[in-house]
Amino acid sequence: MLHVITRRLPWLLALIVISGSLAITDGYLLAADTLVVYSGRAERLIKPVLDEFQTQTGIHVKLLSSGTTDLVNRLKAEGERTPADVLITNDAGSLEHARELKLLRPLNLSEVDHAIPPQFRAQDDSWIGLSGRFWILVYNTQQVKSDQIQSLLELAEPRWKDKIAIPNAGSEYLQAGVSVIKATHGDERTKQFLTGLKANAGPHVYQKSSQIVDAVAKGQAAIGIVNHYYIYRHLNAQPEAPIAALMPDQQEGGMGAIMNVAGIGVSQYSRHLDSAKLLVEFLVAQAGQRFFAELNKEYPLRPEVQADPALVARHSFRVAMVPLARLAELREPTLTLIEQVGLR
Amino acid sequence: MVMTLRRTLSIPLQWITVPTTALLVAPVAYITFLAFHGNAAVWQRLWATRLPELLWNTVALAVSVSVLTFLLGFSLAWFVVRYEFPGRRIWEWALVLPLAMPTYVLAYVYAHLLGMGGPVDQWWQSLFGPGAHMLAPHSFTGVSIIMALDTYPFVYLLARGALLSLNVSYEEVSRVCGVSPWQTLWRVTLPLIRPAIVAGLALVVLYVISDFGAISLLRYQTLTYAVYQQMTGRYDQSAASILSVLLVVMALVFLVAERWFRQRSRFYQTSGRYKTSERRRCGSFGPWGMTAWAALVSSVAFGIPAAVLVYWSVAAIEQGALDARFVGFIWNSAFLSCLAATCAIVVGLPLAYLASRRPTPLNLACLQAAYAGYALPGPVAALAVLALFTAFIPFLYGSVVILIIAYVIHFLPAGLQSLEPAIQQVTPNLEEAGRTLGLRTRQTLWLITLPLIRNGFLAAWVLMFLQSMKELPATLLLRPVGFDTLAIRVWLEASEEYYELAAPSALLIVILSLPALLLLASKDWRTA
Repeated sequence: MLHVITRRLPWLLALIVISGSLAITDGYLLAADTLVVYSGRAERLIKPVLDEFQTQTGIHVKLLSSGTTDLVNRLKAEGERTPADVLITNDAGSLEHARELKLLRPLNLSEVDHAIPPQFRAQDDSWIGLSGRFWILVYNTQQVKSDQIQSLLELAEPRWKDKIAIPNAGSEYLQAGVSVIKATHGDERTKQFLTGLKANAGPHVYQKSSQIVDAVAKGQAAIGIVNHYYIYRHLNAQPEAPIAALMPDQQEGGMGAIMNVAGIGVSQYSRHLDSAKLLVEFLVAQAGQRFFAELNKEYPLRPEVQADPALVARHSFRVAMVPLARLAELREPTLTLIEQVGLR
Repeated sequence: MVMTLRRTLSIPLQWITVPTTALLVAPVAYITFLAFHGNAAVWQRLWATRLPELLWNTVALAVSVSVLTFLLGFSLAWFVVRYEFPGRRIWEWALVLPLAMPTYVLAYVYAHLLGMGGPVDQWWQSLFGPGAHMLAPHSFTGVSIIMALDTYPFVYLLARGALLSLNVSYEEVSRVCGVSPWQTLWRVTLPLIRPAIVAGLALVVLYVISDFGAISLLRYQTLTYAVYQQMTGRYDQSAASILSVLLVVMALVFLVAERWFRQRSRFYQTSGRYKTSERRRCGSFGPWGMTAWAALVSSVAFGIPAAVLVYWSVAAIEQGALDARFVGFIWNSAFLSCLAATCAIVVGLPLAYLASRRPTPLNLACLQAAYAGYALPGPVAALAVLALFTAFIPFLYGSVVILIIAYVIHFLPAGLQSLEPAIQQVTPNLEEAGRTLGLRTRQTLWLITLPLIRNGFLAAWVLMFLQSMKELPATLLLRPVGFDTLAIRVWLEASEEYYELAAPSALLIVILSLPALLLLASKDWRTA
């Protein structure tokens, strides 16, 4: 047997070369109606929507899930050879950055224009917000009372030492949130805030929001910063968990809630433009908006579509006054600040 | 005649080895260039913020895991070789099994079991009251123990091998001279098997500083993890390349130190009188204590996690986890690993062959350069390949090729370690005899050399296949669209806290690793 293998080695080599080259060309040989989606959104939050799109239209969707920044880097590196048709991310700043790099194609779709308000889109419609998400405080109801904290900035106070859980510095939503704080309160104040945050969090720096909610539910941390929907997701799975949500900075003269959007853009080099546009239209249509937002308990951006009634009512809180598109230009200085402070 | 043989073969082979070596070394060279070419301010910023902590964390973890693996590995090897106790033969094998369990699998199982609110934690609190925790898996101690449980077999296997071939007369002389058993162990036995232990610990240290999966799931900040975070969190890769270069330097310093240390301590058998030790029984209580210790270690490191994986897998399968996609993940894993292992053999064979048959400085240098992958943790290999290819051969980006190249760079050293001795063991006389009897060069190669080295060849292939299958960071960063592997699925599901859904893939990796592990352990375990 072994002898046979050794004697067949040239054939084996030929086979490898063939399969290898097949694998290279794979990207180019995709069936004409296959749409390649790069998604920075957790896979289970996007796959059902794409599956639904696939059943409705017959367009086959291939999905690559990874980190948002990683995907933007990838699009940039692949340039015009990219197999990607569509980029979906959890962060408007990354989409805007991709737009500035001319990686996204401006869309001219009347359907989009009347579905999504202009503040949730790029100026040239090269990306379109699909759902809204807010920074929210999740607290353990056995350890914290809801009147103990009003503003995010209070988390830097020494009384929260070893009691808070935060996302790691690589997560786009942390970066975007800090950008908003920086734009609102200025560098010095933000730096103080981050320094306190770092000291108070200690080892409780997490890769994923779900881990933060989990840590708070288990009492490892008393309070955490997460995107709002993770709380509802956790409560859905474990209704008994001792956690509750608190919308910060709503006090008189406060900053307002930090908002970001999950959005979509079509690759500049997409070879399946029609299918890509169909996907965008599918996602901004009423049914698509409901489905997309519902899956993750986010706020639909199309005004006439209602959010999940379990969420804090959208009209009951104020939003910080920082335009989404500014998140891109704010990002580099924010990262420098984050690294100066030494957040992990 | 002899010269012609070597010359006719060596020149075409050099046409293969020199370019491949260049390909293997180029990414590292390029990333070093990037790191030093970059902005000095980035260096300053890193030094002022992250570096001291990262360096300290990395070194501290390496040291503590080494100490733990030494204690576990040596004590178990000592018991297994020198004493007779119930079930010794079973434990002898069971203690190797953790090698089949990727560290990230062990990490995610224990993160759930021991983590706050996990089953063990709840049970512990019911015994000792609220607020009591057995062991926090995310703490320094927790990370050290989990890493040590997965890596002690390196030390165990090497120490066991050394103890088995140790001439027991030295110890007898020491005892005759009135030295106590403990003193004999400390002053005679341990120094004699020191090279083996150092080699084992070296594997452990390299493993720890380059591990990504477990470290990221346990959120312990090492240099390797920081490279990944920088790569995926920033548009600018200069900080990532600086950290990578530091990591490579650290690993190189360590490797050189280890080699120097090993060269200084060579021991030779000087007389022909060789005696192996006999197994003893130690009191009436001792044997059961040893059984208990071996059982405890092997069940904590393998038995319990494996059982938990089976339990979770059953639950996941009931939820319908075994669908067509799952079959696709298996296919992707098998395809990528086969391709990587075969490519690595094709690249590695000429390198090892030339270095042993024609040890010119050029050929030796090529072989040494191929070992560079040893000092390249997964994220660094990925970053290096990525940076080089996007700069010079961008059309390969996002294809399988680039991932295979990263695998080959990363895993070739492990393969070479079993290819090299296999080739060295074949005496050139046989090839020469073949030539004298009228075989042509190529026939000699196909009919004599390759069949003779096929065991080493197979071992190397199996080893690289396994490692590619378990590989995580490079796969995460370089996989083409729609090319999720089993390892990727474990990591994606586990990092989202979907423990049950991660289990089938994890279990499959373990099961596939087992036969290969046993094959390796029964032959040349040094390469495992």
